[in-house]
Amino acid sequence: MDIRTRRPLAAAAVSISLLMVTAACSWSDTPAVGAGGGGTLNVAGPIPIENLDPHGAASMDGGTQLAARAIFSPLVTATGPGKFKGDLATKWAPNEDATKWTFTLREGVKYSDGTPVTAQEVVASFERVLAAKGPLAGNFGGYSVDAPDKKTVVFTSKTPDAAFLGKITSFFVTPEKAEKKGFFQKPVGSGPYKVSSFEPGQALKLKPNADYWDGKPDLNNVVFKSIPEVSARMTALKTGEVDVTWGMPDDQIAQLKSDTNLSVDAVPSPGVNTMWMNSGTPALKKADVRRALWQAVDFKSIVESLYPETGSLADSVVSPVVLGYAKQQPVKYDPAAAKAALKKAGFDFGTKLRFQYSQPQFRQFVEAVASDLKKAGVKVDPVEKEQAVFLEDLLAMKWDINIQQIGSQGFDAATNLGRLYPCAAKRTGYCNKELDKDLAAAGASTDVAERKKLYAKATKTIWDDAVGMYPMFVEQPYSWRKTVKGLKLAPDGMPTFADVKVSE
Amino acid sequence: MTQSDVLVAEPKPEPEAAAPVRRHRRPLAALPYVIIGIYLLTAFFGPMLVDYDPVATSVKGRLLPPGSETATGTAWLGTDGVGRDVLAQVVYGARTSFIIGIAVVFLSGLIGVALGAIAGYFGRLPDMAVSRTIDVLMAFPGILLAIVISGLLERGMHVVIIALSVGGWVGFARLSRSITMSTRERDWVDAARIMGVSKPATLTRHIAPFLAGSVIALATIELASAVLSEAALSFLGLGLPPDVVSWGQSIANGRDYLATAWWITVFPGLALTILVICIGLVGDKLTRRYTRTRD
Amino acid sequence: MIHYLAKRLAIGLLTIWGVVSAVFVVIRLAPGDQATVALGPGAKAEEIAALRHSLGLDESLVVQYFSYLGDVATLDFGQSYRYGRPAMQAVLERFPATIELTIAATVIAILVGLVLGVVAGHRPGSLVDQAVSTFTLGLQAVPPFWIGIMLILLFALQAKMLPSAGGGSFPHLVLPAITLSIPFTALVARMTRSGVAETMTEAFVQTARSKGLTETQVLGGHVLKNSLIPVVTVVGLQIGTLLGGAVVIETVFAWPGLGQLLVSAVGNRDYAVVQGATFLIAICVIVLNLAADLVNAKLDPRIRVEARR
Repeated sequence: MDIRTRRPLAAAAVSISLLMVTAACSWSDTPAVGAGGGGTLNVAGPIPIENLDPHGAASMDGGTQLAARAIFSPLVTATGPGKFKGDLATKWAPNEDATKWTFTLREGVKYSDGTPVTAQEVVASFERVLAAKGPLAGNFGGYSVDAPDKKTVVFTSKTPDAAFLGKITSFFVTPEKAEKKGFFQKPVGSGPYKVSSFEPGQALKLKPNADYWDGKPDLNNVVFKSIPEVSARMTALKTGEVDVTWGMPDDQIAQLKSDTNLSVDAVPSPGVNTMWMNSGTPALKKADVRRALWQAVDFKSIVESLYPETGSLADSVVSPVVLGYAKQQPVKYDPAAAKAALKKAGFDFGTKLRFQYSQPQFRQFVEAVASDLKKAGVKVDPVEKEQAVFLEDLLAMKWDINIQQIGSQGFDAATNLGRLYPCAAKRTGYCNKELDKDLAAAGASTDVAERKKLYAKATKTIWDDAVGMYPMFVEQPYSWRKTVKGLKLAPDGMPTFADVKVSE
Repeated sequence: MTQSDVLVAEPKPEPEAAAPVRRHRRPLAALPYVIIGIYLLTAFFGPMLVDYDPVATSVKGRLLPPGSETATGTAWLGTDGVGRDVLAQVVYGARTSFIIGIAVVFLSGLIGVALGAIAGYFGRLPDMAVSRTIDVLMAFPGILLAIVISGLLERGMHVVIIALSVGGWVGFARLSRSITMSTRERDWVDAARIMGVSKPATLTRHIAPFLAGSVIALATIELASAVLSEAALSFLGLGLPPDVVSWGQSIANGRDYLATAWWITVFPGLALTILVICIGLVGDKLTRRYTRTRD
Repeated sequence: MIHYLAKRLAIGLLTIWGVVSAVFVVIRLAPGDQATVALGPGAKAEEIAALRHSLGLDESLVVQYFSYLGDVATLDFGQSYRYGRPAMQAVLERFPATIELTIAATVIAILVGLVLGVVAGHRPGSLVDQAVSTFTLGLQAVPPFWIGIMLILLFALQAKMLPSAGGGSFPHLVLPAITLSIPFTALVARMTRSGVAETMTEAFVQTARSKGLTETQVLGGHVLKNSLIPVVTVVGLQIGTLLGGAVVIETVFAWPGLGQLLVSAVGNRDYAVVQGATFLIAICVIVLNLAADLVNAKLDPRIRVEARR
């Protein structure tokens, strides 16, 4: 008995030493990262980087897109609503009915391993996107691609697609060997940086790409860290463990502003807090009812109290940074008029409206809206759902009111209005043949002025018929240490770091 | 589950009984009962005294520190992220906790004791089925079940009760199985069997009474753990709908404001902790009494 | 003994099959699948259908189940659609962090628990015993996630001594390990206390004392050794529980472990990862329980006969 009992003690001793070893390794690791010479930029965005494959399941994931912008090259990048800058491509043009898009590739672009980027690889990458059937592929239904010569790539669509440029900004070109197993564990690309190590969901370490076509970046290292916990991320920024972050909640921003080592700023983003009202629900069938509900909520107070830093009262369905934005007449808060209008429209005050949302960030917003609606005599049942359940119910129309932040990919209203509001989309319960016609025409025209006009008309219809409530434009807040120079604040929360410098 | 292990695995008499020093009855011994009593009173009468509407927010009076004046009176424990009174949340949360705790214990106790007694008494196939199910449940991440259940059903109190009971019966089953197994070998059970009393009758009349004490002791402990689990579920965002006040939700809501508005998290957590500790103390006392008499 | 071992192993395999099947069914019962989640709120019905088809999710459940069982039998957990690599690889990447946390918590629990238990059990009924016993009871009952938050509030936000969340370094480990260890510490302390208190009354303790050994020698050399048996059992049984139960703590501290991975995989309906992670947790729990049982059976033959029918 006496001898036997020693075993567990010995085991415990082993455990302790094991622990010390791991602890010791990690401990020495931290300062090395923090003080790694003059040129290290530590980045911690709000979304972890879990997968470096820009074509597959995570292709539209914030983390993957962020990493892709550093590692790979797109054909073009968006610089503003309807404005683009060439990256891999130097020239591009649609045919007359926007069914064919022809790109001329930049010459002499190489991957970080020294091999040249070919037109065939652009084709292969695009076909890889289509084959993956992931979220990015959804933008390119009915597309095919071809490389008639070494420097030309042609994308052909079955239907006219004027918004193709905006959509193709999310597409990145990978080398031929991307097909190989394990390639995306340490991928090779033609972007400003190359991967030195990648721990999914935890850290991505990058080195500058000496062969980058636009000049080797100044930084010696870029480290993306994953710190999902907001307060931890803020602490890391204050202690200097992290140099740049963004997407902070409003309640944290005031604190950051008081820190003299930090700069804080925000840029308008394509995001709009959108609260669709299910027009298929009997109680919400009438536009008068939907408008009255909108009128019954004091969005001005809610936005000012909950989002003093990053929110502003919306005056359109898409944000001002998006092509197709058109200012609308704001809906004024007037509970008395709302109540009267509801009565007049024969609204059934006995109905309990299911108000669904999935992200906890909306909880306070939803509660405040529900509170205002209750004051107008409208019963609302706020339901927080797990993301998968939320999506399933969203598509199955098992909801009455719904809140999401909706952006416009590529800063083009086609990816928002054009995709979500036609009758066929079956997303809002609202169906208007006239609107369908306008949206289709706007998506097919290559004339930007014409498109703007059509989207303005469509926006007015959506706004006046109150397909949803559109309470808030979202700004993207950034905070960085003052040692960081040359940071460009990306409206979509996916900044690039090619031109950033760090002074110690 | 931790505590049920102790109940099952601690068959030896408490050394306290053999301790040479005979202790005096401590006046503090009554304290847990008094505190639980206060909680019960609060849960029952509190909502009649404190006016609170979980749906009514006032965004302009948000994040006020304890003692602040609001439009509707003094917020003694401050206000939360949408301007609701924290004190009222503590009071209403007590009611939620008791309802859920008691319901879970009742449901899981009923299922667990029935299955455990059947398994322990009949042995063979029934025992096999119950024991293996327990094995699987114990090696299965409870969180997964909770997520699925809360996804399948519309959010509500009943969902939380079901989700917690699905895992909660295991402790009761293990306890009653082992007690039944040892009891059925006793003389009077043999006697009953020889006299031709039917199996179900033997089980209910001659064995079940011996389960009562230990089951009550375990029920107390499980009550504490159910209250805790509800809070943990709500904390993970898988629990109650937003319009039901719960301590776990209040704690979770205040998590982002730890640096600026600690009161949202601290007070409901304190209420939860004190209650759970007191129930734990009572449960421990009962456990000691019944594990002693059992041997 | 061999017969017993064989039986236990058979039961273990049966349990694994049960867990594997239950996970398969349960995760598919949940509304939504990887196609809906991956494609997001703007997806068209035909896009979802196409992805579902390419992932094989449109096959009948029975077909899926048997092909899955076959794969599991060869330890193939398939590709994680979301992470774009083998599911088991994603799971094993997170495993060390969880192990690290669990071991740290276990070490704390054993060290602190043993000390508390010996101090209390040394003189049963004394004031010290009463104080320690009440304290450990309290420890056992406190809500760990709330204690975790309070530790963050005190040590990370107020005193700024330790990081509040994340992983990767020793300071990051301290708070979650302490939090996770709390109920376990209490348990070890209580088991040790009753063991020590009981042993103190045994004859050989008197003998040791009369030989003129100091009280420390008596405690360390004789009493503790004999009181360790139940502690070993509990440690074995509880490490499994700790592994599975670290989910909440990992969430509170954003600890990059298996629990966090499991929660997000369930959220993404990443079936392969959920199945792989659950399998691994189940194996750990079963193996540790078996080990504890074996140690126990070896130490005390009575248990083998009595408790394992």
